[in-house]
Amino acid sequence: MDYFILLSVSGIAIGVIYGLIGMGYALIFKATSVVNFAQGEVMMLISYMSFTIASTWTLPFWGLLGVCVVLSAVVGLIIERVFIRPMLGQDVFSTVMVTIGIAVMIRAVVVMVWGADPLVLPTDIGDSAVEFGLVVLYTAQIYAIGLLAVCVIGMWAFLRFSRMGVAMRATAARETTALLMGINVTHVYALAWAIAAVISGLAGVLLGTIYGLGPDLWTQGLRAFPAVILGGLDSVFGAAISGIFIGLLENLSEGYIGRGLKEISGFLVILVVLMIRPYGLFGTPEIERV
Amino acid sequence: MRTGVIQESYGELISLFRNPTQIYWTWALVIASLAAPLVLSPHVTSLVNGMMIAAVGVIGLNLLTGTTGLISFGQAGFLAVGGYTAAILAADYGMPLWVCLPAGGLMAAAFGLLVGIPSLRLKGLYLAITTLAFTIIITHIILSAESITHGSSGVSTPKPALFGFEFATDKSFYYLILAILTLAVFGSVNIKRSRIGRAFLAIREQDIAARAMGVPVARYKLYAFVVSSFYAGVAGALMAYHIRFVNVDSFSLVISIEAVSMIIVGGLGSTAGALIGVVFVLGLAEILNYVFSSLGGSMGSMSALELKGFIYGLTIVVFLRLEPDGLMGIYREYKNRWVNWPFRY
Repeated sequence: MDYFILLSVSGIAIGVIYGLIGMGYALIFKATSVVNFAQGEVMMLISYMSFTIASTWTLPFWGLLGVCVVLSAVVGLIIERVFIRPMLGQDVFSTVMVTIGIAVMIRAVVVMVWGADPLVLPTDIGDSAVEFGLVVLYTAQIYAIGLLAVCVIGMWAFLRFSRMGVAMRATAARETTALLMGINVTHVYALAWAIAAVISGLAGVLLGTIYGLGPDLWTQGLRAFPAVILGGLDSVFGAAISGIFIGLLENLSEGYIGRGLKEISGFLVILVVLMIRPYGLFGTPEIERV
Repeated sequence: MRTGVIQESYGELISLFRNPTQIYWTWALVIASLAAPLVLSPHVTSLVNGMMIAAVGVIGLNLLTGTTGLISFGQAGFLAVGGYTAAILAADYGMPLWVCLPAGGLMAAAFGLLVGIPSLRLKGLYLAITTLAFTIIITHIILSAESITHGSSGVSTPKPALFGFEFATDKSFYYLILAILTLAVFGSVNIKRSRIGRAFLAIREQDIAARAMGVPVARYKLYAFVVSSFYAGVAGALMAYHIRFVNVDSFSLVISIEAVSMIIVGGLGSTAGALIGVVFVLGLAEILNYVFSSLGGSMGSMSALELKGFIYGLTIVVFLRLEPDGLMGIYREYKNRWVNWPFRY
């Protein structure tokens, strides 16, 4: 039983990160129907940037997080403006390939600027841990759980109550109609990219604090992919919940069934989900028969 | 006066060569490629071998993604299946080359059928994600099935030999690959001008309409997957013989992305485009390699590799942004301008 609890808790701790990254994927897909394959790379870029900031100035953790929110919003906006906006009107596949191109470039830039050696993100919460009975969690892991909750509630409130959020939902429902209703669709797209970058930037800083930085950090973005598919590509909340589920599943399958399953159990889930319910647990069904 | 090439009958429309000029150029290409190893240095020959092997796989991918419009990131997975099948048969069971090559292709085709089944229900991005998952899963299966695949230590392949003749040097191996590439090109070109190829095109343009016109969509989608993965499997088997070693690292997800970028750079849907794309992307990588190694000194080898990655990503972005039809699109445009001058069209 203890083994089960340990596995579950550490599974939830990593699942929360998947959830955050997954929310970024889902938000961009919802607003622009493009899967941003560079999500993990954006996350990696922000967490390396936060390394530079944290080692230049001594900031408290929350201060660092605040600076990173601003930085990642800027990064998201730049990517949208420079690479994605010119692709408007092209087919989705081209835009997706562009995000893959961006991903390759960011990976290269990160190694060119910061080197390929693993780094430790110097923060004031560092290695501090909190004990709950037999479970020990890093402070950063607890923050991650809290932040995911904040992001989910924040996104819900944003999409439900704010003017821009309603505009985003309208754009997601039908772009042309939204345009005719006077919604500035390009602003909605830019905002979606900025918010997605902010959410994955948060995930990046937390990942960096918990596990350290390395040039393969972007693979976490790939690992978060099953969460988005399971939740439904266009469901932001679905991604958050399924992120936790995927984290749990990875850890439990590794612990009880066999070695190596941690890396692929999520992708096995993708195959099953896509065969049975391509729109995921919480996504919008899209019916088209041939 | 005839201006340009005008097809006047259905036979002319689907014939292999449009006009005599194309035949002359094809002969020139054949002679040039037969003579090439006599002139090229061993290093370049080995490089060209690598390009031709990649071309076999990319032509297959082009049939699937370019012609049928099914986006696949499964290329690396199919290459791995083909490569491992050939390497294991050759190294552990002592099978000759003429068994291993088709076996690699057939094994990959079987996997292609398996991956193709979800494609009956999925389209576009969802299919791309399925094939991506396939590549990741296949790599881990290879790593964990140690009793068959030797896990992470990889398999060493013996020297390729055909009916007692050993392809000991890159030069002799060149001719074998050239023969297979020629077969691959002929296969692809002929598929595209047949009933099957037209069905593929119909599915790419609009699969509901294709179904309404009486094209059995499910069957042809599976055909596309099987044919394309057969090509990839043969390419994987050739890779195993070329590098003389297979390891999961040679079949990482990056290879899938590289393959897709090659057909984009060359021009989606065109066999010649696939060949040009391979030459462009791999050639660019090699030129950058050369430039950075000759600069040396301040440019560490590490950052050279990264800069290469950067330029490679930039190439994808720039092509999609400025020339979505790829190098073939540029070629067609200039050819038309040249032929029709002084008229616009």
